[in-house]
Amino acid sequence: MKVLESQSALLTNHEVYTFLQNQAREYQEQKRRGPGNLETLRRELLQYLRSEENPLSQEPPAYDDESIAKLLKRLRPYEIQKGEMVMIMNLRPVNIPMLNAVLEDMEERFTAEEQEDIVAGVEEVLGKFPPKTQEEGDVMQTTENGS
Amino acid sequence: MFILTKIADLVQIAPAQFEKHSRVAIEDNINAKYSNRVIQKIGLCICMYDLLWASEGLIGHGTGLVNVNVEFRLIVFRPFKGETILGRISSATPEGINIRTDFFEEIFVSYKELPESCEFNHNAQLWTWVVDDDRMYYDKNEPVRLSVIDEVWYDQVPESTAEDAVEQAKKISPYSIQGTMMKEGLGVCIWWDDTEE
Repeated sequence: MKVLESQSALLTNHEVYTFLQNQAREYQEQKRRGPGNLETLRRELLQYLRSEENPLSQEPPAYDDESIAKLLKRLRPYEIQKGEMVMIMNLRPVNIPMLNAVLEDMEERFTAEEQEDIVAGVEEVLGKFPPKTQEEGDVMQTTENGS
Repeated sequence: MFILTKIADLVQIAPAQFEKHSRVAIEDNINAKYSNRVIQKIGLCICMYDLLWASEGLIGHGTGLVNVNVEFRLIVFRPFKGETILGRISSATPEGINIRTDFFEEIFVSYKELPESCEFNHNAQLWTWVVDDDRMYYDKNEPVRLSVIDEVWYDQVPESTAEDAVEQAKKISPYSIQGTMMKEGLGVCIWWDDTEE
């Protein structure tokens, strides 16, 4: 084994998620199974990417193949580094504290208005989880009871 | 979190796999060797991303194995330093909090990397963040965001070939991540969720 290039690209979670989903589908269509270690890891990784706090768990999907290009375009006025852009894609910061967790020295680099605009841009392009409200639970129950 | 790494290797296809298409046999061999394995200073390998090049197959003398030289790219889990990622609390000790993901378990946040005014409850074995009069709990299984500050590599080469030395070497994880939760927006996810709506 020889490593030719230790890092030839950064991938977003959405790209990895799409790749693994396609792989699972193709294997199924071709009636083939990958090696056991791959099958296990793929299952665990898909489970992680679909977990509750992960934006990829949202239904219907909030991301598509155009999302990165749209996000770059929307946030072009701001000097956001590549790694930070990947984190924005992966974590979808839709409020200021979450944005603070992905941008280094946020308060020195961006004014309060700029921070608000970045968060608004993230929500425009990548969406956000519907608010978890008490009412929602009640509505579900009513529907189940058929009343 | 994920990168692509370009690798050259020799793949050996056993006669039992000759019924597979070469493309499939090569991919299965690469994934069997790399998937869910750590390469030192590279990261945790997920699977082959694409096959860039493959030589003609050459049959080895005496073995019947077909040798193919290949170049390919792997998807690798390797969060960069400074990257914020999602995980779940798996356990807590006075030293800090252990965090895992569904596929990777070796993440640790030292007590030094928790916000000030955090305290450890020995009975409940959990950390609590005390803000004014509010107590916020780092409960087990709670989703958290943490930022990667360091990585620890351990090449599992045993000191000797003795069985216990081999066992001992395997006990230390080949790759572990150290993180911090000492910044606004990090820590238990629900603390920072939108509450206005």
